[in-house]
Amino acid sequence: METQASVKIRNEWDIVQARQLGRELSKEMGFGQVDQARITTAISELARNIYLYAQNGEIDVEAFGKVGRIGLKIISTDQGPGISDIRLVMQDGYTTSGGLGAGLPGVKRLMDDFKIHSQEGRGTEIVAIKWLR
Amino acid sequence: MPVIKYIKDNKEDIVTLWKKQMDEERPEYSNYTVPHKTMETANENFIDVIFDYLNGNGGESSEGVNVFIEQILQFGWPLSYLTSGLQVFRKVVMDVIDKNVTEAKDLLGLYKRTDAIIDPIFNQLIKDATETWEHTVSMQKSALLELSAPLIPIMEHISVMPLIGTIDTERAKLIMENLLQGVIDHGAEVVLIDITGVPVVDTMVAHHIIQASEAVRLVGSECILVGIRPEIAQTIVNLGIELGEFPTRSTLRKGIETALEMTKRKIINIAQEDGQ
Amino acid sequence: MRIPILKLYEYLLITIQVELDDRTAIQFQEDLLDKIHETGAKGVVIDLTTVDMIDSYIAKILDDVVKMSALLGAKVVLTGIRPAVAITLIDLGINLKGVPTSLDLEKGLEKLQQELEG
Repeated sequence: METQASVKIRNEWDIVQARQLGRELSKEMGFGQVDQARITTAISELARNIYLYAQNGEIDVEAFGKVGRIGLKIISTDQGPGISDIRLVMQDGYTTSGGLGAGLPGVKRLMDDFKIHSQEGRGTEIVAIKWLR
Repeated sequence: MPVIKYIKDNKEDIVTLWKKQMDEERPEYSNYTVPHKTMETANENFIDVIFDYLNGNGGESSEGVNVFIEQILQFGWPLSYLTSGLQVFRKVVMDVIDKNVTEAKDLLGLYKRTDAIIDPIFNQLIKDATETWEHTVSMQKSALLELSAPLIPIMEHISVMPLIGTIDTERAKLIMENLLQGVIDHGAEVVLIDITGVPVVDTMVAHHIIQASEAVRLVGSECILVGIRPEIAQTIVNLGIELGEFPTRSTLRKGIETALEMTKRKIINIAQEDGQ
Repeated sequence: MRIPILKLYEYLLITIQVELDDRTAIQFQEDLLDKIHETGAKGVVIDLTTVDMIDSYIAKILDDVVKMSALLGAKVVLTGIRPAVAITLIDLGINLKGVPTSLDLEKGLEKLQQELEG
């Protein structure tokens, strides 16, 4: 099972597009309603981060299988300014956008696996996975 | 020479040796005591099954072996009893071959063919054993999930969720989903979460309960935490856990009274004064 | 896209039935505040029964609109937040403290009535 789709994030409408992608794929894969909402919300948060901080990037979602488990993987990549202090952005309540400060720690809690890789001046890549229970 | 024929021809020797060695190896695979008689019967059965299997030329007719393996596992005997049995069988067969065959070339061939006969039984054994365990684990898992917190509507607008047992993260998630769906299904305006049956309330458990009550508030209902034993009140304060703003009561009864107040009702006594 | 705002006596009713994008959400915030100002409504019910996702941005807009409406003298109740949405918000660390909620539109109206009259 390998399904993949991606959306380029350049404006606010693309955020809705990316969400839609996650909504459809998670439903198709058989995730429960709560996990569907978690996945869609995580995508929304990641896409908004791209829009707000990098202006240019991409959200990929894919269904994949690994050692007997099936999961949905979200990959968020951008060529933005990068994150200088990952520890700081992973703290609860930290925000530079004036939101409710949910941001990346929130995405981490919504998903099962979460990896972030960032280089200042180069961009950021985030990979988040939700396993099908 | 076909090894099977060889084994059959020497059946008596092999069986006797096998039984003797199994008896000697007994402490190895049995860490609990089985009556000697039972063990003997099992051994008898075991060796019969192996020979039945060989009579079927080691091909498709492995059903007898399967049934035997299943039985042994179902009785809860250790897997090592079966593996020892097979290992001893292999050893005994090879010993008998050793005694009667002198040509090195023949020996090697016989060894190889012996392995080819016994290995499939091993594979079957491993497959059956893992299947049995997987089955047990998944049964226990679903049994645990069934235990996980039903939401019981006790009156119009009031529901109770009794929590029993240890609450880990996975269970907490499930409890939360049950709780919220139940609130919607029953139109519960107040939910009493009863933790009488939760043995330990540590920071983690408290955190899960707080999150559940916050989620309940978001869907438009309210939580009361009941069944707080004195020692749990102590741990909560000692650990510095902030239970937030939602009300707590020591017993379910008091909680129900509060819930009635919150939904603007009360219980009145309708018994007649019987005038002494 | 605009979200319709209905007036019922001194209350305003809104049922959000579209996918909330950022623009629509902001537009809604403006429209609601204008409408409260214009009608002098004392209470507002925002029903979210059909909303299947609220991220931190939309949560922030809802949280803000409740506070802003309070400044204009209108009490807002959010109703019909789905279990899946509630769980996601909690995962995000958002509990919308201080925002009144009810199970459905009807109970939301009852709540407003009780608080405004009683």
